[in-house]
Amino acid sequence: MHGLNKYFAIAKASLEVIFVYRAGFTVNLIGSVFYVVAMFYLWQTIFLVKPGALGVFTWPEMKAYLIVAFILNSTMTWFDESSMGQDVREGRVAIDLARPIDFQLKRFAEATGPVPFELISAVAIGAVVAFVFGGIALPADPVHLALFIVSAALATLLKFSIIYCVSMTAFWTTGMQGVSNARMAVQNIFSGALIPLVFFPDWLRGLASVLPFQGMISTPALTYLGAMDGPTTAFMIGTQAVWAFGLLLCGRLLWRSAVKAVTINGG
Amino acid sequence: MAARLRHARWLVYIYFRCLGQQMKAILAYEADFVILMISAGLVQITGFLFIWTIFQRIPDINGWTFWQVVMMYSLIFITEGVGSLFFEGTWRVSRLIYNGNFDQMLLRPVSPIVQVLAADVGFNGLGNIITGGVLMLIALGNVQVQWTPGRLLMLAILIVSAATIRVAINLGTAASAFWIRTPWSMVPFFVHQLGEFAKYPITIYSMAVQALVVVAIPFAFVSFFPTAYLFNVEAWSALGLLTPLVAVYCLLVAVWVFRRGLSRYESTGH
Repeated sequence: MHGLNKYFAIAKASLEVIFVYRAGFTVNLIGSVFYVVAMFYLWQTIFLVKPGALGVFTWPEMKAYLIVAFILNSTMTWFDESSMGQDVREGRVAIDLARPIDFQLKRFAEATGPVPFELISAVAIGAVVAFVFGGIALPADPVHLALFIVSAALATLLKFSIIYCVSMTAFWTTGMQGVSNARMAVQNIFSGALIPLVFFPDWLRGLASVLPFQGMISTPALTYLGAMDGPTTAFMIGTQAVWAFGLLLCGRLLWRSAVKAVTINGG
Repeated sequence: MAARLRHARWLVYIYFRCLGQQMKAILAYEADFVILMISAGLVQITGFLFIWTIFQRIPDINGWTFWQVVMMYSLIFITEGVGSLFFEGTWRVSRLIYNGNFDQMLLRPVSPIVQVLAADVGFNGLGNIITGGVLMLIALGNVQVQWTPGRLLMLAILIVSAATIRVAINLGTAASAFWIRTPWSMVPFFVHQLGEFAKYPITIYSMAVQALVVVAIPFAFVSFFPTAYLFNVEAWSALGLLTPLVAVYCLLVAVWVFRRGLSRYESTGH
C-alpha cells in the first residue's frame, strides 16, 4: 500500500486545486445546468404532445435519464486533452519521466481527485432540477441501484481511459483544443448523452453499440432505470469493463511509443 | 464628421491588420487548423443528428417544424462562428487583465475595444460558419416562401444583426473582468451557456425562461425571432423585425459597460 501513498497525495492536491477555484467551478457547473434545463423543457413538450413519442420511456424515466446523464457528465470536467498538450508543449513531461512514478497512475490520480466533490455538487444541483420538474423515477429495486453504482464507476474509469488515449495525440500534434472538441462531439452522440440510443435509427444504433462510448452514459443510465433484463445488464456492464481496462492498456502502449518519439526529438 | 469617418476607417484597418497577424500565427500550425475546423464540423453534425432523431419520432415541437428548428440551430452556429473567427479576442479579456497584460493595450494609440476584438482568432469559427451555412441553405430551401429581393436583403440584415447581438453579449460580459478578477472568462461563459435556450423555439419554455432570453439577455433575437420572421410564423414574425434594433441596443450597452470598466481599470502590475 505504501507505494500508492504518493498517488493519494496527487489526488488530494488535484482536489485542492478545485477548492481554490471553487467559484469558477461552481459557475461552470451551473452554466452546464442551462443545457439540462433546456433539455427538460424540450422533452417535456414532446412528451406532453405525444406521450408515446418516448417509446419505452415514461416521462419520469426520461427525466431520470437526463439527470443521470448530467451527473455522469459532470465528473472529470477539469481533466481533458489540453492539459496533456500543455505538458508536452512546455516540456513538463520530461520532468514526469524523471520522477519515480507511473505516468498513467499519476494522471488517474489527478483526474479522480476532484471526482467526489464534482459528484456531490452535481447530485445536489441535479436534485434541485429534478424537484423543480416534479421528481424523477428512482431505481425500482436495490439491485438496480447497486448495479448502477458499479456501472457508474466503470463509466468514470472508461471516461479516463478514453481521454488518456486521445490525449496521447499531444505527442504528434499541438492542436489539442480541436482534438478535445472532436472527442467530445463523438462522445456526446454515441454515449447517449444527447439522446437515449434506443431512439436512433438502426444503422446509428448499430454503430453506437460497437463503440466504447455507450458505456459512459447509456449503460449506467439504463441500469439505473432497470430497462434491461438480467443477462443484458450483465453483458453490458461486462462490455463496459472490457472497454475500460482494454483502453487503459492501450493507453499504456501508446504512452510507451510516445515517449520514444520524445526521446528521438531529444526532449 | 469627415475626420471621424477617417478615424473609423483607420480603426477597421488596424483591426484587420491585428487579426491578420493572429491568423498567421495560427496558420503556422497547419494541422491544428485542420483539426479545429473538423472538430467544429463534428460538433454541429452531432447537434443536427440530435434534432433529426427527435423529429423522426414526432412531426413537430409545439407547432415548430423540423426545418424551422434547423434554421434556429444554423443561426446559432453561424453567429457563434462569426464570434470565434473575427472576435475571439473577447474571450481573452479576463486573462489579459488577470495577468496585467491589458496594460499594453492602453499604451497603444488605438481603441482598446478594437484591440480586444482582434486579440485572437478561433479558426473553429470557419468550420461553424461553413456547416451552419449549409444547414441554413437546406432549411431555407424547404420553406414555402417567395424569395423577393426584399426578403433576401432582410435575411442578410437578420444574420448580421444576430451575429452582432452575440458579439455584443460576449463583449459586454467580458467587461465583467474589470470588476471580477478570474484567470478565465467566468461570467462570459456563464452567460454564453444561456444560449442553449436559443437552440429551440422559446414557446416550449416557462414565462420566466422566456423573459430571460427575450428581455434580459436577448438570445431569442439571435435565432428564434429571425426564424419566425423568415418562415412567416404569424404570432412571432413581427417581432423578428425588431432584431436590428436589438442588435444596435446590445452593441451600445456592451460598449458602454466596457468603457465603464475601462475607466476603473487598475493594473495588477508586473
